[in-house]
Amino acid sequence: MSGTNSVSRPALFSAGALFSAAPLIIFIVLLIYLGISAPNLTDPATINLILKQSVPTVVVCLGLATVVVAGGDDVVSGGIDLSIPATAIICAGILADQLTNHGSPLWSAIALAAVAAVTMGVLNAVLVVAIGMTPLLATLASSVAAVGVTKVITSSRRINVDHPFVIYIRDANVAGVPSAVLIAAVFVLLFCFAVHRTRWGMQLQAVGGSRDAAEVSGIKTSSLVAQSFFIAALAGFLASFFVLARGSGSTPGSEENLLLEMVLATFLGAAFSPRRIVTVWGAVLGAVLVTALSVGFKSIGVNVFWTGCIKGTLILIVVASAAYSGRAQS
Amino acid sequence: MRKHRTLIKSAFSTALGVGAAVLLSGAAQAADLSLKGKKIGVAVVGTQHFWDREAFNGALDMVKELGGEPVPVDGGRDNQVHADNHDILLSNKVDAVISILGDGAVEPKFEALKGAGIPVFTVDHLSPHGVNNTTSDNYYMGTTIGRYMADAIGGKGKVAVFNAFEGALRICGIRAGLWKYVLQDYPGIEIIQPELAEEFANAPEDARKKTLDLLNQYPEGTLDAIHVGCWDQPAIGVVQALEEAGRTDVKVTALDGGPDTLEIMAEDGSPFVANVAQQPRLIGQTAAMNAARHFAGESLLPQTFVDVRPVNGPEEAKAVYEELGYGTL
Repeated sequence: MSGTNSVSRPALFSAGALFSAAPLIIFIVLLIYLGISAPNLTDPATINLILKQSVPTVVVCLGLATVVVAGGDDVVSGGIDLSIPATAIICAGILADQLTNHGSPLWSAIALAAVAAVTMGVLNAVLVVAIGMTPLLATLASSVAAVGVTKVITSSRRINVDHPFVIYIRDANVAGVPSAVLIAAVFVLLFCFAVHRTRWGMQLQAVGGSRDAAEVSGIKTSSLVAQSFFIAALAGFLASFFVLARGSGSTPGSEENLLLEMVLATFLGAAFSPRRIVTVWGAVLGAVLVTALSVGFKSIGVNVFWTGCIKGTLILIVVASAAYSGRAQS
Repeated sequence: MRKHRTLIKSAFSTALGVGAAVLLSGAAQAADLSLKGKKIGVAVVGTQHFWDREAFNGALDMVKELGGEPVPVDGGRDNQVHADNHDILLSNKVDAVISILGDGAVEPKFEALKGAGIPVFTVDHLSPHGVNNTTSDNYYMGTTIGRYMADAIGGKGKVAVFNAFEGALRICGIRAGLWKYVLQDYPGIEIIQPELAEEFANAPEDARKKTLDLLNQYPEGTLDAIHVGCWDQPAIGVVQALEEAGRTDVKVTALDGGPDTLEIMAEDGSPFVANVAQQPRLIGQTAAMNAARHFAGESLLPQTFVDVRPVNGPEEAKAVYEELGYGTL
């Protein structure tokens, strides 16, 4: 009996276990500190605000989580798509340009934005699956290209949008809950169901777990990885409506913050999973917590540059912890 | 010569006297005003640039001086983050908000604050939802820089303009629009199309690269001036590019006149020939005082204009640098 204890205790409290739980511990400590320093952080109105502000990050995280599930969570060679925020920004730019500058009807603006998103999805899939580029580099390149095209489309200028559809997403409340939060919740449920509850999702996880094993069991791994990039572009497309609504228009440069929060939230989300793997629901929870952290820091008057520094450090800890867990598992 | 120097000296002491009197009367006025017991949100789009930082600190210091408790939020030069920060001020239940700069994304936030009974005092951002906007005399700035630039190139030539924000920010619309209005009377001046678009977040470096590209496109003798339509941080990069390319014959004009750009203007043979200097700290202070006036029951005009100082050439750059309290060049 004592022998069993002496084996399990060090496993639970070993340096490795502590290191992989580090992001979660740091986050909980930070949130407790913020909850004490900024008492209004737990007000229903502030929680509503946190949920509302987190929506664009939540939706891009759905895409990144899907890609990581399919490609494996090795930060360098596994699945990653850094271009999702750029896809959101290019779609938002097209929507804003079409609705405001050209007076196009909503359906044609949406159709054009969808074409851009499909192009991004196909481009990433070709670069990674057909050409065999590392997802990190491929999607970084496509992200830079998309931001460049956005600047051409918008002439690098802000475009205001006051279309009723965008205003609805921005301002409407259903039973006291912002409509954006409800719509995003539907997307979250759909992604969770697709990735974690369907046969397709199981195959996706199998590919991410071990591509060789998946291939041996007859799963078309390349096709599934390509589909994950396509789904990620779809998430970028969906996020564009929330980006547009949040800013009442498209603003150049909004992809930078979104990228930072997306990576932080998705890999932080892995810390919530018992096996320390990236999951859709974990990424969503991560996105809400990252926003709560931003709102909390601002509420207690922390300098915005320190907030950036803290977020950067957290990304480092989260990614290092993910890499460490991956190495320990292998 | 000595008489000349005495005249300049006496002019300076008079100017200093008037300045001191204005400051003192400001302080006296401030003494009657109070923000005691009030929580005042102060939101700024960013603090990387001198202007933004000075206006922000001016507002914060004046809120404290008047007995109020400032709640500062900084957008880190991201207009979206700046807009979202107003939601945080709303949930913090502040008594008033001083909002410095920002684009159209802040409008629905102002509307929400107004709906919650929180008065908004804007700086350099005229809004239908604000009580009052404190700003420089942008109309004077736009026309003056138009005249100075036209004079600097002898009333004719090709001019490139960095003008990304004319349609997005009203202050830029006024400044760039009136600069163009003045140039209508100089048919010999041609504005190169398409206009250049600066990336405000990374202004000097971005402007340096774009100017080097422009200089390749327009060889010596085919470009006479580069104007920055709304501010002057990009002009730092423009001057760097002109010096790198040995093209300091191209004149540079811009608006804002902080210490960094006035120093460049004051250098011998600087291509940066004209500017209009603002008083950002005074603007921030005035916005805070306007909030106090509002709480004291005074009715405010929609806009409060703060004086600017036109700067034409290196000597005026040195004089304005000293006058605005940045030191001696």
